[in-house]
Amino acid sequence: MPDATPAPSRTLLVTGASRGIGLETARRFLQNDPALTKVFTLARPSHDFDDAVAGLRALARPGVEVVRYDVDLGDRAAVIDVVDRVAAEHGNVDLLVNNAGYTKPVPLQQVDFADFERTIAVNLYAPFTFVQELLRRGNRFELIVNIASTAGINGRSGWLTYSASKAAVINMSEVMRSELAIYGTRVACISPGRTATALRRVLAPDEDPATIMQPQDVAEVIEMLASPVGRFVDSANLVVRQ
Amino acid sequence: MYSLLLLNGGIGARVAAGRPKQLIKVRGLPILVYSLIAADDVAEIDQIVLNYPDGWRDAVEQVVADYAIRTPVTYVPAGETRHESVAKMLSSTTNDHVVIHESARPLVGAEDFAKLLAATGDNVSLMLEIPFTVAPVDPATRTVTGYLERSTLRNVQLPQKFAKADLEDAHRRAAADGLTFTEDATLVATSGHEVRFIDGSDRNIKVTTPTDVLLATFLLGGRPEEAWNA
Repeated sequence: MPDATPAPSRTLLVTGASRGIGLETARRFLQNDPALTKVFTLARPSHDFDDAVAGLRALARPGVEVVRYDVDLGDRAAVIDVVDRVAAEHGNVDLLVNNAGYTKPVPLQQVDFADFERTIAVNLYAPFTFVQELLRRGNRFELIVNIASTAGINGRSGWLTYSASKAAVINMSEVMRSELAIYGTRVACISPGRTATALRRVLAPDEDPATIMQPQDVAEVIEMLASPVGRFVDSANLVVRQ
Repeated sequence: MYSLLLLNGGIGARVAAGRPKQLIKVRGLPILVYSLIAADDVAEIDQIVLNYPDGWRDAVEQVVADYAIRTPVTYVPAGETRHESVAKMLSSTTNDHVVIHESARPLVGAEDFAKLLAATGDNVSLMLEIPFTVAPVDPATRTVTGYLERSTLRNVQLPQKFAKADLEDAHRRAAADGLTFTEDATLVATSGHEVRFIDGSDRNIKVTTPTDVLLATFLLGGRPEEAWNA
């Protein structure tokens, strides 16, 4: 199987880029990857996203473009529309970080099915759709990083929908790794443990964020995966936790 | 630039009942995909001529579409024999030089095509030394009839490259003489054109039996349980 050699120039698409792991990932690549030419940031419209994009653009070297796409990843048609625009306006996506996540943690008896569907749409169908639709447009990925969760390894009481969706992401990543090896594409799956993100505040509102892993730490692991040494990290599911 | 003749029309030996061998799967992917993607990454190949068995054009076109093959593909119906298929595909090529490959050899990568295209000579085949003894026999009487010096024999592999004019000439002569060949290096050589060879690899297996599927799955880095053909 071929290994995709890091391109002399490369582009990065990050979902959930308005804050947390997504924002820190975009920031780290802008700061540290000299080959980076474009960052496609995706998130739902918000003041956080406004601030994030402004901060990233201020950080970008001359000639490096930070492109913003407002999109709700629960809307598959909107996801496909963004893929169309990225492919038509900017060409190839070399690095894809499927980071955006959604959860509304409730016990089984209280699960609203529409909410379960939204959880699966954002956490599972959207990453799948980005990969499938970009491949269908002739995209050749160097690296895909899917962000799962340790909650996808062991089901957590009260987190049924989230745990189930992340278990599916872990398994889907394994299949992607096998099937996309034919292109020389590497596929990594990261399962962060407790990380001080907005989503974590939903899952564990009483926890002190200062006492747990920070989004920057996970972003640094993603950066490592995209570096030359990253090709030696061949793990079905890379657990990142304190 | 080169046109790739990708042989994909065989419906003889099958590894899965009810489907031609090019639509079998290795590691869950149609075996045809491996050759298409490898060739798609070779800049010198700007046309793929792909044949298909009767009734399978839509399925083959769908594979090309699903995997977003960027190189233009020309579809040609399969002939009655491999020999006839090559002749039919040759008439659809747009370049003066052609490469012949078959989808049943999924272990060939873009680097193998590149090595062949860089080799000296217009007509070149991958060939492999024979690591065992072969003997000429008379099957009718079940007797051994002589001796073959194996250092002067080679296992013929694909891909191969040819000057289109030489390959056309060889097929014309064979048609005139009523001869059918099972591959084109010996066809072109016996027609008087120089054919060279470079060393192939024992990884470049031809997948024709269920055991071959298992072996190809292993060589492609998969697990035995992925050698299914559901």
